[in-house]
Amino acid sequence: MRYRSPSTRSTGYMAALATLLALALQACGGGSSAPETGPGETTDGALSARASLGKQIFHDASLSASGRQSCASCHAAETGNAGPRSTGVTEPGGVALELQGGRTSPSIRYLAGNKAFGFDAEGTPNGGFFWDGRAASLQDQAGKPFFNPKEMANASTEELIARLAKAPYAPAFQQEFGADILRRPADALARMQLALQAFQLEDASLRAFSSKYDEFLRGRITLSEPELRGLALFNAKDKGNCAACHPSARGADGSFPLFTDFSYDALGVPRNTALAQNADPSFYDLGLCAREGGDMAARRDLCGAFKVPSLRNVALRKAFFHNGRFTDLREVLSFYVQRDVAPEKWYPRLPDGSIDKFNDLPVELRGNVNVSEGPYNRRPGQAPALSEAEIDDLLAFLRTLSDAR
Amino acid sequence: MNKKLSRTPLLHTLSLSLMLAIGTAQAQTPAEQELLRRVDQLAAELAKLRTELAQLQQQAPTQPSAPAASIAALVEPAPAAQARTVLGGYAELNYNRPNNNGKDAQADLRRLVLGVQHRFDEKTKIVTEIEVEHAVASAGDPGEVAIEQAYVEHQFHPNWALRGGLFLMPMGLLNENHEPTAYYGVERNFVETAIIPSTWREGGIQLVGQLDSGWTLQAGIATGFDLNKWDAASSEGRESPLGAIHQELALARSRDLALFGAANYRGIPGLLLGASVFSGQATHSQQAASSRITLWDLHARWTPGRWDLSALYSRGSISNTAALNMPLVGSDSLIPARFDGAYLQAAYKLWEQGSYVLKPFARWERFNTASRYAELGAGLTPEASDSERVVTLGANFEFAPGVVLKADLQRFRLNKDLNRVNLGLGWSF
Repeated sequence: MRYRSPSTRSTGYMAALATLLALALQACGGGSSAPETGPGETTDGALSARASLGKQIFHDASLSASGRQSCASCHAAETGNAGPRSTGVTEPGGVALELQGGRTSPSIRYLAGNKAFGFDAEGTPNGGFFWDGRAASLQDQAGKPFFNPKEMANASTEELIARLAKAPYAPAFQQEFGADILRRPADALARMQLALQAFQLEDASLRAFSSKYDEFLRGRITLSEPELRGLALFNAKDKGNCAACHPSARGADGSFPLFTDFSYDALGVPRNTALAQNADPSFYDLGLCAREGGDMAARRDLCGAFKVPSLRNVALRKAFFHNGRFTDLREVLSFYVQRDVAPEKWYPRLPDGSIDKFNDLPVELRGNVNVSEGPYNRRPGQAPALSEAEIDDLLAFLRTLSDAR
Repeated sequence: MNKKLSRTPLLHTLSLSLMLAIGTAQAQTPAEQELLRRVDQLAAELAKLRTELAQLQQQAPTQPSAPAASIAALVEPAPAAQARTVLGGYAELNYNRPNNNGKDAQADLRRLVLGVQHRFDEKTKIVTEIEVEHAVASAGDPGEVAIEQAYVEHQFHPNWALRGGLFLMPMGLLNENHEPTAYYGVERNFVETAIIPSTWREGGIQLVGQLDSGWTLQAGIATGFDLNKWDAASSEGRESPLGAIHQELALARSRDLALFGAANYRGIPGLLLGASVFSGQATHSQQAASSRITLWDLHARWTPGRWDLSALYSRGSISNTAALNMPLVGSDSLIPARFDGAYLQAAYKLWEQGSYVLKPFARWERFNTASRYAELGAGLTPEASDSERVVTLGANFEFAPGVVLKADLQRFRLNKDLNRVNLGLGWSF
């Protein structure tokens, strides 16, 4: 086959093409060394006026009936903004701080990525705020504790706003939301919730991504051998299998892991007899299916399910699970891996000598407890998924999730 | 098929591709029918050009572009007015039955593709393909709708053209020529599925040259893979490392682009020798560590007489996987540092009568999607996978031009649960 020689015009095309390709090649693949600031990086910018108001409200104990309880009382910085559990089983509340709560205070960090409650494509419940997901947003959640009789115990919106009107930041509140806002209690409450939400979304300490693990993900430091072994145990399906509900890897969009998939699970946590509400043997905290409003009442298959919390700052916490049954993280890990191989260690015996496994649920609902996924897929007498040495490693890893202070 | 070609200089450009196609067709490759179709299309375009040339020679005024309304399948040379837009397509219906696990038998309309080509003038055309997989694509069904190709090609020189848009990567024997009538076996071979992730396309610019010496050269710059998509909890990466992280130009991360090149020699009738390479960064500054993914292959095809023999080797590598895998330790599917595969295939035209053609074939494959992992430390480095070896015996039966019935048996050496019988029906026009 014979072809014409390239024409002058074609040579011109070729030169233009070569230039184009050369420019493109320069752009190709070059200079991708250190990552630019991306998800997980935070800048410590000043709070907006609204968020600044939210911060003052968050720390204001005068907004409670007792005058001694603020939002920060139950979401303390030193415990990763979970309950500090300074006294008793849960945080005390009520008009004279005389009442015990029914559940532990969950951490309010890293909640910006959470969404309203719903069911995913597989029909799995997901999202929502509080242990049972009953609040649809940070804003919605922020308004509830003011009126919980076992928490800040305000009798009415009017009572709360009257307290707000006496606060030193009340003029700033009026400046932000209007001079007459305090004369409209319902509207004022809604603005308080907005301000609290703004604080939670803007304050860098509530989304710090400053843990050792974050620095490891940024490639700035390495983990120690025990920490790395712990991470491997955390991820491995046949070992801890923790990542199944507490994802540890960055998202496809580059986002840093939140260590929760915001799903719900019934774990069969043993009944906490130290909770006053459990003195009644007929009382059971059924979680998702029994939340206020009754919208999940028909879903008996969801009874006993509680929201999967983030494990960020888990090593700072003083109480674990919704009922605070455990106060030691090592004990929590032991429970996870020994619940099924040595149930006698965790549950009481019935008069007939049998083990009352999953005793914080009525017998007819105990089938809801997760017994299929590791590490719960074992039988009495089998080796636990993690040895004591492996639990040490896993603890070492979990301690890398604490934000820098 | 030995059409007498015009020596008119104006037509010389098209004669290159036409003669290349004829040369290949004379070699009676398994893709003969497909090639014949393409020759016919080229002949149609030639006819159109002849008409236009005649008009020019008569110094008639230049005619405006004909309406592009006539979307017609061209299996025969058509009048010039209809040759501008060409409708094509292919489909693949497969039935797989595992030998020891009949309950997992599955029938599937694997894919149906409709393609439209439109030629704006003698130098410029677009090529588009829309694919539907698994018959139904909806929120509750497994199907998928995808654009497989969408590019513009401009012939700026008798030997050189430039493509821009979404195009298939020129790698291996199958990726650019993946119609069911163009390959043996019900399923595409594993090497060109698990290692070269067919049907693999990227967005970019590509230079295509067809040289007098018989070489076809292709090179360009394109979007690449996105390692941020690697899901260590999923088995996808073990099935096809690059298939798990390709982007298909769907909001593709393109902080870093990739380079690719391919050279194929068809200078000796019946013989094809080729090689290709693709290389590009794949973390797009989303990770602390950057990583380069490189894939290359060597391939050959020889069609002496009734025989059709082919061989291919491909290897991929991902750099810096130690750093990338460190946060993923313990997970099911870590990022492999290397993966590779090879196959040998022999087919024979055993019987032919009218439009009936029977071609039995045998294929041996070896592939490993994780042949090496970077060292992560004692107890943390995953063990490299063993290579899977697969033997496939079967036949393609073409009972009409562009329609093929297939049957084969597959034997797996490692995972014998996968041993199966496959039946397939496909067409391409």
